[in-house]
Parts: sequence; structure tokens; C-alpha cells
Amino acid sequence: MNGTLAKDPFNIIITGVGGQGNVMASRILSDMLVRRGFKVTIGETFGMSQRGGSVMSHIRVSEGKVWSPQIPKGGADLIVGLEPIEAVRVLAGYGNPSVKVLVNMRPIYPVGVITGEDEYPPAEAIRAAVVSAGAAARFLAATDEAVKLGNPILGNIVMIGAVAGLGVLPIDGELFETVVRAGMPAGRAEANLRAFAIGAAAVA
Amino acid sequence: MLNTERKDDQAEKEIIRGGQRELAERVLDAGLCSGCGACVNICPYQAIYRDRTVVLHHCDLAQGRCYACCPGAPTDREGLLTGLYDAAELTPELGAVKGFYIARAADEGVRRGAQHGGTVTALVALALREGLIDAAVLADAGDGLLPRPATVREPEEALRLGKSRFVVSPAVAEFNRAAQGDAGRIGIVATPCQALALAKMRVQPVTAAYGGIEKLGLVVGLFCGWALSWRGLASLLGKKTDLAAITGMDIPPSRYHSLEVYTQGGIVSVSLDEVISCVRESCLSCPDMTAEFSDISVGSARLPEGWEAARSWNQVIVRTSRGAELLELARRKEIIEFREVPAGNLEKLKAAALNKKKAAERAAAAQNDSILKERTG
Amino acid sequence: MSVDGSWKEGVEVLLMGNEAIARGALEAGVRVAAGYPGTPSSEIIETLSRFAQAGRLYVEWSTNEKVAMEVAAAASFAGLRSLCVMKQNGVNVASDFLLHLTGSGTRGGMVLVTCDDPGALSSVNEGESRHFARLMEIPLVEPADFQEAKEMTRWAFELSEEIRNVVLVRSVTRLSHASGNVVPGSLPVLGGKAEFLCDGPVSDPERGPVISAPVVQKHRLQQEKLRRAAQLFETSPFNVYAGPEKPELLIITSSACALYSREAVAILGAEGRAGILKIGTTWPLPPALLKRHLLGAEKVLIVEEVLPFIEDQVKIMAAEQAREIGIKTFYGKYDGTLPMAGELNPDLVAGAIGRILGIAAPSLPAAYREKLGELAALTPKREQTFCPGCPHRASYWIIREALQRDGRRGFVCGDIGCYAMAVLFQAAGFHTAKTLHAMGSGTGLASGFGKLGPFGMEQPAIAVCGDSTFYHAAVPALINAVHQGADLTFIALDNSGTAMTGFQPHPGTAVNAMGEAAPLVDIGALCASLGAPVFCGDPFDPVRTRETLNEILETEGVKVLVLKQSCALSPEKKGKKQFLVRVDETLCRGEDCGCNRLCTRIFRCPGLLWNREKKKAEIDEVICAGCGFCAGICPAGAIINEEAARA
Repeated sequence: MNGTLAKDPFNIIITGVGGQGNVMASRILSDMLVRRGFKVTIGETFGMSQRGGSVMSHIRVSEGKVWSPQIPKGGADLIVGLEPIEAVRVLAGYGNPSVKVLVNMRPIYPVGVITGEDEYPPAEAIRAAVVSAGAAARFLAATDEAVKLGNPILGNIVMIGAVAGLGVLPIDGELFETVVRAGMPAGRAEANLRAFAIGAAAVA
Repeated sequence: MLNTERKDDQAEKEIIRGGQRELAERVLDAGLCSGCGACVNICPYQAIYRDRTVVLHHCDLAQGRCYACCPGAPTDREGLLTGLYDAAELTPELGAVKGFYIARAADEGVRRGAQHGGTVTALVALALREGLIDAAVLADAGDGLLPRPATVREPEEALRLGKSRFVVSPAVAEFNRAAQGDAGRIGIVATPCQALALAKMRVQPVTAAYGGIEKLGLVVGLFCGWALSWRGLASLLGKKTDLAAITGMDIPPSRYHSLEVYTQGGIVSVSLDEVISCVRESCLSCPDMTAEFSDISVGSARLPEGWEAARSWNQVIVRTSRGAELLELARRKEIIEFREVPAGNLEKLKAAALNKKKAAERAAAAQNDSILKERTG
Repeated sequence: MSVDGSWKEGVEVLLMGNEAIARGALEAGVRVAAGYPGTPSSEIIETLSRFAQAGRLYVEWSTNEKVAMEVAAAASFAGLRSLCVMKQNGVNVASDFLLHLTGSGTRGGMVLVTCDDPGALSSVNEGESRHFARLMEIPLVEPADFQEAKEMTRWAFELSEEIRNVVLVRSVTRLSHASGNVVPGSLPVLGGKAEFLCDGPVSDPERGPVISAPVVQKHRLQQEKLRRAAQLFETSPFNVYAGPEKPELLIITSSACALYSREAVAILGAEGRAGILKIGTTWPLPPALLKRHLLGAEKVLIVEEVLPFIEDQVKIMAAEQAREIGIKTFYGKYDGTLPMAGELNPDLVAGAIGRILGIAAPSLPAAYREKLGELAALTPKREQTFCPGCPHRASYWIIREALQRDGRRGFVCGDIGCYAMAVLFQAAGFHTAKTLHAMGSGTGLASGFGKLGPFGMEQPAIAVCGDSTFYHAAVPALINAVHQGADLTFIALDNSGTAMTGFQPHPGTAVNAMGEAAPLVDIGALCASLGAPVFCGDPFDPVRTRETLNEILETEGVKVLVLKQSCALSPEKKGKKQFLVRVDETLCRGEDCGCNRLCTRIFRCPGLLWNREKKKAEIDEVICAGCGFCAGICPAGAIINEEAARA
């Protein structure tokens, strides 16, 4: 596999709702890239965002430089949305005509939608919006796959697999396995490997 | 004839539009809430706490049963009366009068356990015993001077709960609660405001899933001059006696000008001048002295022989055929005994009722004046 | 945290800023570390606690930051290296001790790490801790990236021992919680016995008693120490310049702003025109270093968060050096080039540099920008609220229903923790919580309200206080309320942990920072010992708890109600449902009079959904935590709890 980056820095934003495993996903992806020899900066905020708020991880991947933990507006190269409207929200702030987008289409309703004050846009509208604003867009049912595997939070791993399958970064299943086996007990590692494979296959 | 069918255009007028906001602004905050409980137990947004009706959470529906059924909200009384009673029997002072009697429970034991003649108690117990109703909402002694409504199934329980309470208990809230249970036909002993609330509920569209008003079987109305605020009364009597020692109270005819408080240590007499300041604010604008929206209304009798004789008798107004049938049944079974109605009694009752209507009109006008003054500055 | 978690010397690894700081302390041979949980600082103590070992490293979550600083200071007095960690407001809490500590001086190296929160991403203030360095006359260093966070922390201990005083290391959220490549260094061999030498004369800072008196003499000594640090700072490798020798624009920056500045210059392609002086040794700012760089530029832009700390000092120096360096044009916060409130980012800095140098930042095509505008309009806002299964939602429900019944327009004085969300998002607290300030302030405020009866105050005030907040700061206010006879209803929300910051232990949990069993200080027992009546309730038992609350609201004096129910994210509850909850559609009243969507419109637990097509409520089984509380509020009994099978 080609070990160079399509762009330097390569800017990834993983976004979702607090509690979806955003942080874990960004750690795993970044660990893989550090092992490949890249300089990585992850910018994240915790705390209040956990309580059902929007969360973003900004990941800068570079051959040699340490970049700011905040990606400039319009500067995302890849957006990984663990939740549909968070993907749209990030796209609105950081999108550009060449951005690639992966979206897990399982909604998590904001409190305002639950109470009927706001409307959650229908799936078709979300797809149309994402397709219109990106160079490439793939839509996955990552949570559904994860539920089949027994744990909804594996949705984030399915999405990591999709990132690998997309081929924009020099990462693959072998690298993922190394990272996962080093950091998790054996039982959990297996489920993660399966989730990764499902994600990679979904965008192949 | 008291029934659930509406005479459409008259009944339409009776449905006044409004929701919780109007309930709060025009009734609760305006001092017009009588604590009947019609707006409670039909939804989770209101509750009765001690003797106050409180809003728990905000409901934004433009129209609701809370306001539609509230006796303190604007009401087309004339339309409601003509819709629910025989127009030929309506009197301007007393509502529908099918018959007027002086009566009392034949059993002295029942009379002793009750307030005056025991007529209400005897009739309710009879209705339960004969299966005309299978549950009755009555007032039980609660905490101190604050009564608690109770739904009873057995005639014996009804006989136990015969005393008058001068503080309103939220009987309609209890009816709402009981109607959601498995009781089939529910009777209720109601003050004029509570009877009005039930009448308004009758002309609302009945919602099959969680309504309940269709279960209303019998309304025994109570004569009422006014009710007292629990907090005010507790504070006043607390200065005069140990509240825990109070066993009952009564208001003799007006010339006595007193509230008699029966305690374990004897009778404490409190001048009505002091008691008047404890009257619940909503009562000042109520025009109904004889519970016009009932099947049969009962109050304490007035006799030429004086209070000592009269206090063990009741005045009874029959308004509907259901009420007439119940009284006739009671006579046949010798549950109730009667005496001759003295000449002029009905006229005296009408005069007293008319006084209350005029006082209510004056109070309403004064309140309109003050609202007008507030608005125009 | 790196997935792997093990760091080997010389092997590059991804570390969070806080982990890098912790590693730096370990490489310096720290022996005692104490702090209080506060976002964005908490991971430092958490990381160190993984390495705790009797006799080698002791790690403590203290009840508050002042105590934490005192504990760390003791270790320093005994000749050990110690670390004290807190977020920006923690320094305020510890400041009285800090004032006297910096006067008395330290012995073993003592480093105070403060993690500020520009933009208040996890705070209700964006206060600055840098000014404490100036007020307390101690050195201040600011790391600008992850490797530097480690290096600086390690070196700070050396500096502290050199000058015999506390050194302040200041980080920010965007570094502490960000992650980057770090090459760990070597870990030292640990030695040294803890011994407090104090028999010498008062004037001997090394062997005498440790006090800030005689004050004027010690103060002069303190200022000498600071001058020594300033000398060292002149040649520090942490102050780095990159750019042309005589730049058109000199950018002076520190901390995360250095990364923003570098990125901003790259965005504009201005590497040939702008030079960046990254300051690592922020206080005292080395004057000779400054002069060298000020000589070479006419325009100077200072980029920092949040307040103009460096900007003030640079301008003072420029005035002092004016004869040698000439007149400069300064850009910064005072002239509005950069905002004085909120955090910065590469776009804001690029905008500032662009305006000064007349360079337009590259922008997206107008048509594309319009499209993005449409996307933005598509997304409903995402408000924060209590987690599904949170006992605070239940507690505030109970408080709301009790206060409405009470009828005297009572209110809640809120405090710091997850339950603070009731004040920030009024609907989450059912519109009961009306004040929010610092740790423990809710209790002081409520008791103050409770003394206003004679002035006509009729509204009962309720203080709501979390368990960790209770130990931190509420106790003195509670004692005061008892002694002053205030009418105070004090509700302790005991969810068995310091939840908002990541579920750290506190004296109410039976375990300490290092995971060892620890004695428990019971809130109810402590309050009872003050002579206040103490009532206990379970927020998931609403009717009884509400009745208790209504009763105590009507009594005078101080009353304590302890509501005990563990956090939905606590280890014993997380991921496990007590009930499988569902809605019976045939019973659900929906929008009709008689319900009007009480569960989804008012109660608003994220696990409850309103289905607009069916016009019925539903449970989202992925989100629902299975606490079963909502079943008790449904007026139709349409929400059904089934006991979940034990996994």
C-alpha cells in the first residue's frame, strides 16, 4: 500500500453525539496512523459535550509537522459522521468541493426534536444535501450492523472499517488488528475485527 | 330529566373555549377557584394540594376540559339549566323544583351520626344498598380541618361519613379518579360549585378512552352559603381551641350569627364576624345556594318552632325524576320520614337564595370595576 | 488515551496533552500528586493514579483545590517533588494558600499545573489563571504542543528546585484534551526519604520553619527568585522564533495559539512576511529576548487566550525600550484585532493577519458557500440534557412538583456538576433552578435568601448540591446556615461519584484515586452532626420523596434532604437496564387533552420519542437506560416497565 498522504496535512473530522464512541474511534484511527509513522494531532472536547451534545474530533495527519487541533473552516478532507445531522452540521462548517463523506444513517434525536419543537430532516433530504456538498459520499447502516453484532457502540468501528475501505489513507485491516489486540482483551477484539470488516466491505 | 344528551345549540353555547392559560388567568389567579377538583385527575397538569388548586406543569393546548368544566369559568347557567331540566319546573331563585319537602332519616342513629336530619346519608346508603349506584363520593375527615374525599362502596361506610365539612373537599377530583377505575355507576354528594362542574362535564363531548362522566349516577346537592378557606379557618380556630380536639361544627340560622365548634371539652362559639374573613374568595361571587345542578338538594330545615326543633330536620328540593324516584323509594321503605311543610317556608328559602344571587352580582360587578380600574389605570 | 496505554522510552506514541504532562511529571520523579477533578485537567491525576505505588508515587483526589495544594506543599517541604493539578477556577479556590506558599517558598520541586478553558467549553467562566503568576510572583510556563507539554513539565520541577518556589505550568483545553505525537523520555530511579527539616532559625528557608514571615524580607527574597527565573528564561529553548530575520509582521504568541498562528500563516502563504515568536516562558517575560525581536519588526501582533496578559507586558517593555527599539504598531486585543472573550482558532488568527498584511484568505466558491448555508439550515440544534436514566432529572421533577404545590414561588440555587445543566437549560430542570456560580455557592446563596424573611421575602430557597461539591465547599456554608438560623432546604444529590468530570471518587465513595478501599464520610451523618434534621429519599421514588420535600419546605430552619441514586454512567449501571420499557399505543393519549405529550414535551428524556406519523410516544431502545421512571408519570399508564433479565 502507498504510505503517503493524498494531502499534507490530511484533515479528518469524526463527528457524532456524545456517547457514540467518537473518542474511541478517533484514538484507534490515530494510533494506526502513528504506527505508520505519521505525525497526528487530535483536537477534541469532552465534558459537557458528553451529555447528549454534539461532539467532533478533528484529526490532522502529516508527514512531519504538528498542526493545530482545530481544522480551519472549509478544511476537511474526510468527514466521518456517526450520526446523520452531525455529519451535515460538520459539512456545513468544514466542507469544501473535494471533501469525502461517510455517514452512518441511524438518527439520534435531539431533545428539541423529541419534544416536537424542531423537525428532524428526512433521510432523503440528508442524503441529497451530503451528495450535493461533497466529492464522494457513502451512506452506511453502521448501527444496525453493530446491533446485529451485539453492541450498538461497535457502529464506530464499522465506520473506521469504511474509512479503510475508502482507500484515502494508508491503513488496512492488519494494522487495525495490531492496534486492537494491543489495547483490548481477546474477547472484545474479535467483535471489533468483525465490525471493521463489515465497514470495509460496505464501501468496497 | 338529567341526562347525557345535549340539546345541541344550547349546549354549544355552554362550551366556553379556553385551556390551562385561561384557567390560570381567569380563575386561579382571579380568586375564582372553589377547589371543586374538576380540573384534577383528568390530566397530569393540575393538582389539589391542601385546599389550593395548583398548576404543576405548563400545558399549551388552546382548549381543554379543565377550563370547559370549571365552575369558576364563564358559564351560561340559563342554557345549562334549560338543557338539563324540565323548563316548566324552573324557578328563578331555586332552579328546578319538582317537589319541596321537610324530611329526615327515620333512624335516630343515622340522624345522630349525621349533621342535621341525616337525609343525605340515608339516601346515599339506600342508593348503594339497592344497587342504584355501586360507589359514592363523600367527604371524609382528613388532616385536621382539611377534609379528604372518599369513594365508598358499602352503605355502612356512607353512614359513617355524615358530618358537614365547612371546608370544600375536591369531590370532583375524586369522581374523576374513581371513574377511571372499575366502578360502574357513581353517586356523589356535591356542593353547588361541584354540581355545576359535573353538569358542565355532562355537556362536553364524552371521550370513550378516558372520559368517565358517563358513569355519573346520582348527584345529591348540598345547600351552601359559603365555604371556608382551610388555612384561614385553621389559623382562626387554632387560637381558640386545640384543633385535634374538634369533633364537628355547625352554623345555626343566621340570627345566631355564630359558628358552633364541637370539641371534646364542650362547645366553642365563634362569632360569624370573625369567620366571615375566612370565607373562600370564590364563594363571594357564587349565585347558587341550593345546588341547582343536582338530582335532589338537601339543607338544614327552618321551622317556626325554632332551631332546637329544626336542627334535626332537612329541607329537600327534588329536581329530577331520578331524585323523585329515590325519595319515593326511601319513603316506601320507611328510610325517610316527612312532616308538613310550614306555610311560607318555600318563599323564605327563595328569598334567602335570591339574597345570595344578588350578593354574587354585586361582587362580580365590583371585581369587574377593579379589573377595569387596573386596566385603565 | 492511547488505545495501548503503555509508553516506552524512545518509542513515539500518541498522547493526550494531559497524558504528556503526567509523563513529564513521572520523568521528573514526582512522588506526590494531588488535585480536584475539573475539566480539562482531570486526566492528569487519572493517568498518574495508574502508576501509583506505595513508597514510590502517591496520588490523591483531595476534597478541594486548596487542600490539594496543601497536600502537595507538604511533600515539597519534606524534600519530595510534588505536583498539584486543577482547572482555572481551582486556582481561585487555592489562591489564599498559594499567596502564603509563594511567600514561604518550597523545597522539593513543586509544580502547579492549571488547565484553563478559553471559550468555556466545559466551564461557566473563562477565567485566566496566568495572572496568578504575576500576582503571586512565581514563574509561568506555557507549553505549545504535546512534546513540549512533557518536556516543560519535567523541566519545571528543576526550575522549582533551582529557585525554591512554585512554578506554574499553564495548559488550555485545546492542548490538554488534544492528542499528538510524543516520544517518552527516561524514567528516573526514585530515591530520597521524606523529612521535614525545621529546627533552624525562622530566617533559614532550608532548615527553618516554612512561613511567609518576616513578610517584607521573605517578599524581597521571593522577588530575587523571580529575577533568577527571568535570567534563565532569556536562553530557554522553549522560546522559539521561526520566520524571516526582519519580518514585516512579528507575531508573539504562546500555548495553543502558537499552533493557530502557524496554521494561519500557512493558510495565507505569508511565511515570507510574518515571523512567529513562540513564547514558552511567559512570566517573567525575558526583556532581552523581547528587545532582540522587537528591533526587527515595525508591526507586532500578539495572539493569546483569553485576556491580554502577554500583550500588556510586551507593551510595557516596548515603552521601556522605546529609545532603543523605536515606535511600534501593536495589534492585539485592545484594538479589536482579536477578540478579548472566547477562544481563538486558525480562522480568526488568519483573518487578523490577513487584515494587517492585506492578504485575503482563500475562500470557497460563492455557489458552494450558498449550498453549505442550506445544509446549516437543515440541522436542528442539539441541546445538552441529562443522560437517560439520570437521577437528577427525577430529582428536579420532584422539586418542580413540590414547589408548585408549595405555591410560594420558591426556587433552586444551583451549583457545579451535571445538575448545573438545570440552570443552563431551564427546561432540563423544569424551570426551577435560578442561580449558578462557583462550587458550594448555591448553599451560601440559598441560606442568604433564608435570612430575608423579616424583609418580606416569602419565596423558599432550595440549595441543590452534588455529593462531590458538598465535600468541596458546601460544608462551611451549611454550618453557617445552622448557626445563623437561616431557613434553608438543602438537597444533596448523591449519585456516588464526581460525575461531570468523569466519575472520579470522593470522600463519599469507598474508594480513593488509586483504586484502594477508603473510609467513607457519610453526608447524612455529617449534616446530622450539625444539628440539622436529615431526611433521606430516593429520586426514583417520586411520590414519597415529593411528600417529604413539601413537608420540610413548610418548616423553619435548616433541613437536609439526601437524595441517593447512582449516576446512570456509574460502573454498576452503565449499559445495564433494570427495566425493558415500552409504550402501549392503545393507551397512549398523545396530544389529546388529558396528556398533551407530558413525557416527550415536558419530561424530555432522550429515550422518549414523539412519533409524528402515529401521534404516539415511543421508547428508543438504544438510548433508553431502563430506569423505568417515565412509567410513573404517564397519566394513562401507557408506559410499561418489564423487569429486564439479568445478563
